[in-house]
Order: sequence, then C-alpha cells, then structure tokens
Amino acid sequence: MQREVGSLPLAPALRARLVAAGFQTAQELLETGPCGLSKEIGISKEEALEVLQVVRQECHGDAARSAGGSGTTRKCTALELLEEEQAQGFIITFCSALDNILGGGVQLTKITEICGAPGVGKTQLCMQLAVDVQIPECFGGVAGEAVFIDTEGSFMVDRVVDIATACVQHCQLIAEAHQEEDHLKALETFCLENVLSHIYYFRCRDYIELLAQVYLLPDFLSEHSKVRLVVVDGIAFPFRHDFEDLSLRTRLLNGLAQQLIIIANDHKAAVVLTNQMTTRIGQTQSTLVPALGESWGHAATVRLIFHWDNTQRLATLYKSPSQKESTIPYCITPHGFRDVQPAAVTPNAEDTHMNPRKRPRREEEK
Amino acid sequence: MAGKKLRRARLSQELCERLSRHQITTCQDFLCLSLLELMKVTGQSYYDVQKLLCKVSRACAPKMQTAYEMKLRKSVNPSSAFLCTTLHSLDKVLHGGVPCGSLTEITSPPGCGKTQFCIMVSVLATLPVSMGGLDGAVIYIDTESAFSAERLVEIAGNRFPTYFDSDEKLFCMTRSVHLYRELTCDSVLKRIMSLEEEIISKKVKLIVIDSVASVVRKEFDTKLQGNLAERSNFLARGASVLKYLAEEFSIPV
Repeated sequence: MQREVGSLPLAPALRARLVAAGFQTAQELLETGPCGLSKEIGISKEEALEVLQVVRQECHGDAARSAGGSGTTRKCTALELLEEEQAQGFIITFCSALDNILGGGVQLTKITEICGAPGVGKTQLCMQLAVDVQIPECFGGVAGEAVFIDTEGSFMVDRVVDIATACVQHCQLIAEAHQEEDHLKALETFCLENVLSHIYYFRCRDYIELLAQVYLLPDFLSEHSKVRLVVVDGIAFPFRHDFEDLSLRTRLLNGLAQQLIIIANDHKAAVVLTNQMTTRIGQTQSTLVPALGESWGHAATVRLIFHWDNTQRLATLYKSPSQKESTIPYCITPHGFRDVQPAAVTPNAEDTHMNPRKRPRREEEK
Repeated sequence: MAGKKLRRARLSQELCERLSRHQITTCQDFLCLSLLELMKVTGQSYYDVQKLLCKVSRACAPKMQTAYEMKLRKSVNPSSAFLCTTLHSLDKVLHGGVPCGSLTEITSPPGCGKTQFCIMVSVLATLPVSMGGLDGAVIYIDTESAFSAERLVEIAGNRFPTYFDSDEKLFCMTRSVHLYRELTCDSVLKRIMSLEEEIISKKVKLIVIDSVASVVRKEFDTKLQGNLAERSNFLARGASVLKYLAEEFSIPV
C-alpha cells in the first residue's frame, strides 16, 4: 500500500502528472477516488477510473506476494525442486553415450546450446530431438510436440521422414518384444503422419522475424500446451552478418535469451539452440570458439560442442551445472543420430539404450 | 518483412504519426527497442505496450507449417524436387540429383571441371521435363569470363543428338541461357539482388554462379585488417539472398 506512484505501470505522461500534482504513494490515489483524481490532474473520469483499477491490481498483487501466496514470484524449497527435477523427463537422443554425459538426455526447462563447425551434425541432432520428444511415455519419452524455428533453411523434410520412420520401427520392435497393453495402444497414435504433424515449423529469414516469433511463442505455446521442445536452428546466422551496432546485438541477444528462459520454465519445455563457431586469433595460434561472443555464453545452461577428430565426430560437454566435462564419439547413420557402434534395429540394441549403465563397444573407425 | 511499415501492421494512425516523430517507421525499429523505451515513446502503459508488441510481431512473424504439410507438398510433385545430373553415381549419392530449393556448392582445385559441370547443368536445365530437365531458363553469373557459348552448343549437340537435331532447337536453348559477366563484388551483389524480377519474367529454373571465390579473393586481401569482416558481410548477404530465391521459387542454385 505504501508503493510509490513512480513505480506503477502507467503511461509515462500520466505518471509525470501524478507526481507533479504531489501524489506520493498508491494509498493516496485510492483514497482520492476517481472524481477527485480527475479534477486534480485534469484527466477524464474514465481515465481516472482506469488508473485506479491498475493501482488496485498492482497492490493486490503486492499483498498476495508479501503474504507468501503463489504470486508472480515463485518461492519453493530445495526439496520441492529436487522432487520436481527427479520426476521430470528427459528427451533421449538415441545415442546412449550422449545421453550418459548429459545425465539422461536433453533436460526440460533448461536451455541447451549445441555449437559446431558446419557439417558436423547439429541440425541432424535437432531433427532427431524433434522426433524423439514425441515418443510415448511407456517407451521412455515425454510424449510432447516440437516447435522448430529455422533460420538457415537446413531443415529437410525427407530426412525427418527417415528419422521418424526409424524411430517408429524401433518402438514397434520394443512393443513386439515386451507385448504390453499400453505399448500397443500408444503405438496406434505414434505413427509417421502424427509425428510429422506435431512438428511445428517456422522459417525466419532475418533477426526481426526471429524476434517477432519469439515474442509470439508464449501465446502459441499456451494454445498448443503439449509442446515440450523448442528448437532454434541457427541462432547465430541472422546476428552475425550485417550488424553494425554490436551493442544493439548484445541487447537483442540478451533479451532473446531471457524470453527463452521464461518460456522454458513456464511451459516445462526444453529449448535447444544451435550456434556456429568462429575463430579467435590468439598470440601464436587460433582456436575455434562458439560464435556470438562471451556474453552469449551465459545464456545457455548446458553447452555441447561438436567437432571432428580426423574422420570421427566427437561431442564434448563443455558447460553443465550437474555433469562433468567429457567427450564421446557419435555418428550419423541413415536412421539418424546414433552411437559409434552401428545400432542395428534389433531388440538387443534397445536394451543397451534403455539401460544407461551399459556403455556401447567402441570401434575405432579409420 | 523487416522493413514493413508500421502503418501496414494495422496500428492506429495517430500512433504511427507519434512513432514517426521518433524516427520509428518500420517494424524493425519497433522491435529493436526495449519495453521501457517503447513505453516512453508511445506514452502507453506496460500492458498496452505488450499488446502492441504482439500485434507488430504478428505482422512480421513467419507462418507456421507442420512438417507433415511440407511433406505432402513435396510428394505432390516428386519429379520437380531434383535436377538429375545424368551422372548415375553422383545422382545416387545425392539421392536424386541437385536439390531444388537449396544451395549447392561445388569446390575443387583449378582445372578439375567445375565450369564444365556448370555448363552441362545449364544444358540439362533447359531440357523438357520428360527428358529429366526443368524446362526453363538459366541465369549464369560469370566472374571469371570462362563461359564459352561454343562449348555449350558442343555439349548439347554431342550429349543429346536426337533432341538437338535441328539448329532451331539449339538456338532456342542458347536463348534461354542468360549470361551476366560481373567482375566486382559490388556488381555481383547488385546482380543477385535484382534477380527476383528476372526469375519471374524469364521463367528461370536454375541459377549458376561461377565462381564466388575468385571475385572475393581478388578484392579482399585478408591480411589487411577490417577486410575479413567486410568479406564475411558480403558473402553472408549474398548467401541469404540466394537462399531466399532458391526457397521462394524452388529452384536449384
């Protein structure tokens, strides 16, 4: 009730008038009433009523917050958070080594960033995740839908068809091996057409379209409440070229990161971003580092770097709050993103991936 | 899309005038400001500004399509998804040929046959669909002055003797290959920007640029400071325009 007038979310001109007239706290405004307010400041009665409604809403929100109720700020104990985290699902990547180092897979409510040189497999992993998020719960998935925001134009529908077909076949084999009721029921809905219709695709040509789309995402996600994955493929591409004002770029990127964090938390979705690599020229040598600068490094919670070692593709967990840094090999097969041991689609293979403690046999590829 | 004027985003007239007094006329300017700045400039409350932001975003944002719709669209016309190169092993590796709607890059040391490949692909694109071509015109942007029309006719005559049996057919084919000689980066960029109208008017089905590297290396010496950024700017801008053209018209580049 003692809230200062200057902090209320009113139009700046109105605020200035109120302060000039001498009002200091919200309590005073409420005591004056709409007619008195309109006479003192010189605004119409309807405007005064609106002002008072805003003030009442704000004060009510404040009171609820101070009473410890569930207001706009979330307060909970670490125990509640622990229970929430343990009950949360992961989005598996079909590469058990990668799931291992990530602690089970791509986590919901966190931002994961995948950096890598061109051609190393970032978009492949994104397409794989867009299919994997739809795996029904009885097979170990989160049964959600996916939003795919593409800025580079590298989304190939035919490839997604291949990956989805392989995934559906995999689940069918599991169902045949285990023969349980809910498996068969889930398989009825988990078919190729459904998988494809639940991937919502947006093609953003420049950073303005990307910004606009991210502003509209909360509304979209409220309509499609089953979305559990938001992929932004190529967050670096629209921001890297043609930007003279670097401070504007940093500001826009930070705003984007904050909005994505809010989306991830509110809708319990995982956000996956792909980034490019740039060369940092040091004193004696040059190294490849993720693009978009140091301040962008703080935006993502988990950072994966994909790179080559001769002909073998490697994934390194570069930044994670709960797992330690490690590197694993992976490969891209016609079925999608897999472990190095070519995972033939047999019941044995999916035992290894269901049981995370078994590591796949490493074969040295020449 | 970014340069869309706010008037067309269905904001009220007085709001547009007020914003233009602060030099905010396009959606781009509007979306680049933070919420507080927008409040100051529009003189409206926090919640109203958020609603305005949604309105302007809706004017700029891309349309949603599901992957299923994309697949259906592609399967409606499967033959037009690729340009067959008539090299069987290459087509097998590429899963059908040079894909329509995306950029394909051919690199090699000098003398391996890149320009020959480009010329052959130009001939293939002018062939009718029944013979595996795209039945359209070709835009050939040549920066090395390596294009030879005689070679074009030679390839056409020797490769498809049954089709190009008369001179008239040959003339028809050569008339549909539009050659542009550009020697500087600026002119290449200008040419790429102006392609949109040409594609529609001349019914172009293939764009070939031979080659991007030669003109860029000539002009930008990477040892000089600052040139690296300019060079990447030029390349990125050209690439994004070409990607847009390839996707919009579903043609190979």
